[in-house]
Amino acid sequence: MATSFTAPKLSSPTFQTLCRNLPVFVPIPNTLYSVSRHHQRHHHRLQLQQQRQRRLLFVVRAESNNGSEPLRHYDFDLFTIGAGSGGVRASRFAANFGASVAVCELPFSTISSETTGGVGGTCVLRGCVPKKLMVYASKYSHEFDESNGFGWKYDTEPKHDWSTLMANKNAELRRLTGIYKNILGNAGVTLIEGRGKIVDPHTVDVDGKLYTARHILISVGGRPFIPDIPGSEYAIDSDAALDLPSKPEKIAIVGGGYIALEFAGIFNGLQSEVHVFIRQKKVLRGFDEEIRDFVGEQVSLRGIKFHIEESPQAIVKSADGSLSLKTNKGTIKGFSHIMFATGRRPNTKNLGLESVGVKMSSNGSIEVDEYSRTTVPSIWAVGDATDRINLTPVALMEGGALAKTIFQNEPTKPDYRAVPSAVFSQPPIGQVGLTEEQAMKDYGDIDVYTANFRPLKATLSGLPDRVFMKLIVCVKTNKVLGLHMCGDDSAEITQGYAVAIKAGLTKADFDATVGIHPTSAEEFVTMRTPTRKIRQGPESEGKMGHEAKAAAGV
Amino acid sequence: MARKILVDEEMDQTNKEEAHYDFDLFVIGAGSGGVRAARFSANFGAKVGICELPFHPISSEVIGGVGGTCVIRGCVPKKILVYGATFGGELEDARNYGWELNEKLDFNWKKLLHKKTDEIIRLNGIYKRLLSNAGVKLFEGEGKIVGPNEVELTQLDGTKLSYSAKHILIATGSRAHRPLIPGQELGITSDEALSLEDLPKRAVVFGGGYIAVEFASIWRGLGADVNLFFRRELPLRGFDDEMRAVVARNLEARGVNLHAQTNLTELVKTDNGIKVITDHGEEFIADVVLFATGRLPNSKRLNLEAVGVELDNTGAVKVDEYSRTNIPSIWAVGDVTNRMNLTPVALMEGTCFAKTVFGGESSKADYSNIPCAVFSIPPLSVVGLSEEQAIEQANSDVLVFTSTFNPMKNTISGRQEKTVMKLVVDQETDKVLGASMCGPDSPEIMQGIAVALKCGATKAQFDCTVGIHPSAAEEFVTMRSVSRRITVSRKSKTNP
Repeated sequence: MATSFTAPKLSSPTFQTLCRNLPVFVPIPNTLYSVSRHHQRHHHRLQLQQQRQRRLLFVVRAESNNGSEPLRHYDFDLFTIGAGSGGVRASRFAANFGASVAVCELPFSTISSETTGGVGGTCVLRGCVPKKLMVYASKYSHEFDESNGFGWKYDTEPKHDWSTLMANKNAELRRLTGIYKNILGNAGVTLIEGRGKIVDPHTVDVDGKLYTARHILISVGGRPFIPDIPGSEYAIDSDAALDLPSKPEKIAIVGGGYIALEFAGIFNGLQSEVHVFIRQKKVLRGFDEEIRDFVGEQVSLRGIKFHIEESPQAIVKSADGSLSLKTNKGTIKGFSHIMFATGRRPNTKNLGLESVGVKMSSNGSIEVDEYSRTTVPSIWAVGDATDRINLTPVALMEGGALAKTIFQNEPTKPDYRAVPSAVFSQPPIGQVGLTEEQAMKDYGDIDVYTANFRPLKATLSGLPDRVFMKLIVCVKTNKVLGLHMCGDDSAEITQGYAVAIKAGLTKADFDATVGIHPTSAEEFVTMRTPTRKIRQGPESEGKMGHEAKAAAGV
Repeated sequence: MARKILVDEEMDQTNKEEAHYDFDLFVIGAGSGGVRAARFSANFGAKVGICELPFHPISSEVIGGVGGTCVIRGCVPKKILVYGATFGGELEDARNYGWELNEKLDFNWKKLLHKKTDEIIRLNGIYKRLLSNAGVKLFEGEGKIVGPNEVELTQLDGTKLSYSAKHILIATGSRAHRPLIPGQELGITSDEALSLEDLPKRAVVFGGGYIAVEFASIWRGLGADVNLFFRRELPLRGFDDEMRAVVARNLEARGVNLHAQTNLTELVKTDNGIKVITDHGEEFIADVVLFATGRLPNSKRLNLEAVGVELDNTGAVKVDEYSRTNIPSIWAVGDVTNRMNLTPVALMEGTCFAKTVFGGESSKADYSNIPCAVFSIPPLSVVGLSEEQAIEQANSDVLVFTSTFNPMKNTISGRQEKTVMKLVVDQETDKVLGASMCGPDSPEIMQGIAVALKCGATKAQFDCTVGIHPSAAEEFVTMRSVSRRITVSRKSKTNP
């Protein structure tokens, strides 16, 4: 959790001090990297010894340039542009491994722009953290309803004071950005405030000042994208939605992805009237189909109005200041706010990437290899700027792997298999591994176990809350390929199962585990009968049936 | 949880009529273990009868109810009250999130109690239907064993029935036990505590086990003054010492008064309430005194001596690894055997029994890495070894990883309560030997971790799992630095 920090331990403080004090001379280009590739083949046990040798080599070179290779002096071993999750992680770890590191970041603001950002990045300032805090705040209205069923009474209906929440939230964000700065400082990373721009493969310009570096890391993240329709200047994005000066009375949210769903829950819980406009029939494209159906239903039951297959065409501002949304199906009036949650784009404009030859894809994301290296060998990129899996823990993984690859002689590829994730909708979703649709495609024969039940809490509260759970099992290997859940505590429940699934455990392993009673999570270890067995073998002549077969009751 | 059994009511009705016996299996006691064994045996084709005492929330020698302790007097009603009590703290936490609530919040105990009773009556009905759907014949009354294959049933009207059975399963569970101190009749047990007419304003809890800690949390959460007395330095003997201290700290921070190393010596009725006297000579006045000082197996009135079924000195039925007693036709599962007294363990034992006896597959229950939870507020959940157990059992050094952090929710609510997590790792094999957590949602979080531990997951496998952000659970996969390393002197292997 972002609020807990352990001070990074310096693996070799003396060496680090040495490195920072001595000018570091190294051959160009990238000899160290090829050294580390060479070392890859060596036995693991030799690693410590090798590191010692490398350090020795470092120092020798620093002291005597025997002229066999052209040497160049750099201000830093690593210069990181962007101090979000990936950039901070890579910088800290690189510093811990003995590199001299600088990171530049824009000044703090809750709203990002070409000139504002802040140490901590999207996750801490405009993403995971403020979002989750808002989810906590908004969840209470449901808890008040639940508590009625457990004997709690309110003489007057609880009212929400928007400004208290915003003030407390922003105080927390400032505290966190301070903590992130301290983390960098404690790791010996130089923090430079300003906008970084790449001048050449080894030079970064920060507001007119030039810094040279052996390696440059781009970790500039992404920003919300609002499509260009008439009146789009009246729309807000998720940055603004997290820091509104007052509660929206009636808000339209355009988009069906996780951000749209999370904000719908937040504003609904904080007592706004919420309308969600989605292009498709269902929310959360790419998620398991049953989960999509289930969450749509549960969220609707909490009072959010969905407008399906309805695309925005224009926003019109009325004389009274209210907004109307014109769609392919008509016009809906009277919105105080219209929010677009229509995707995010990598922040790669005006970074000088084109001029140094860093290749980007059509959406602006930086193309990298499996080690996060761009087409320019001294330039690397991690996190949302590369648009791989845009999650904080993935950026952390990429940043950590990068530091190991460059500065610890240990080429490390991030492993994107079985990355768990959560949607903090209300109720939330947790998932890890494949969806049923993907599993069917990749493995053919699968067994699907589902549970759809009313949790104990709901039987007392009388609310229509339910929980849905799903396990997808490969028939051939018995391995659990995917796990999905929608209901209270899904995110927390999924994490432990992610360890099990990442470790390649089988359905039999799940079955052998004793439940914790009474919990929701125990349901995943007590699923005895497949809900359906899906077979794609030649014997069924290509027929793909959702055969609901009840096995013997054990 | 009772709700889930609804989804698997499949049955196999092939009846193998045994010529010499009325039943293939007669089960005494329809709690978690008994119902599971009865249903599964019936599904394997056995002809099954089961008897249970009439339903009432408070148990006695002659009262029980289908569903047993878990459903009627344990897990389920307890969790309902914990939910109710958790709102107490939750609502306080809401204020800093901008919610304006009355200074004094109103809580209606009778409403909660009434709804709880409705729910357990509903579940009692569901369990009865489950049995009948499985083709199990349910008898209401008290069962006694009169021969290795003979059960005598005393019905409510006093009439007696006698049935022969090829196998008899004892699944009579356990009951709360009161300490023998003067005035003990003024105290109550957990049975009554789950059904009190009025919420106590001043509660005294005697005991340091999970039941004591849970009721202290429940009453405190609902606004009572609570004094908790226990004999040791810390509550929850048997759990990881560090986690015990965390639970004690949290209880205190939430307003429970802890009295360590203190015994109650006498209860006296006064006009003002019950006077509680301790062995330190202190006196307290309470509306309710709860004895949570242990539970004893329900084996007294089963006539076991007559057929020679062996009991241990606590009264627990002695069984082998297959749950068989010393009389080959008589078996026992669940709390009456006092192995590991948890509902899911009784279910496992019941399942293994049915497989062994009627499924043609000898099955031993596996007691390794069984997770469990204490529903204190906030809860504690553990799986595998405690740090102390690991040090005692390990052959190599033990690495302990801990994480103590302020849960994100508290950053705004201002609640001063840290969540603590711990992984205990065998240095040589890298296997995670134990995991514990005290903090919100810990029982839900621990279940998945338990799957990983059950299958011998290594610390490296935890580390390579990507976190779910922002969650509390992600701490378990992001513990990079060892908090301490305990060097274990290699055990001498020369002596056999």
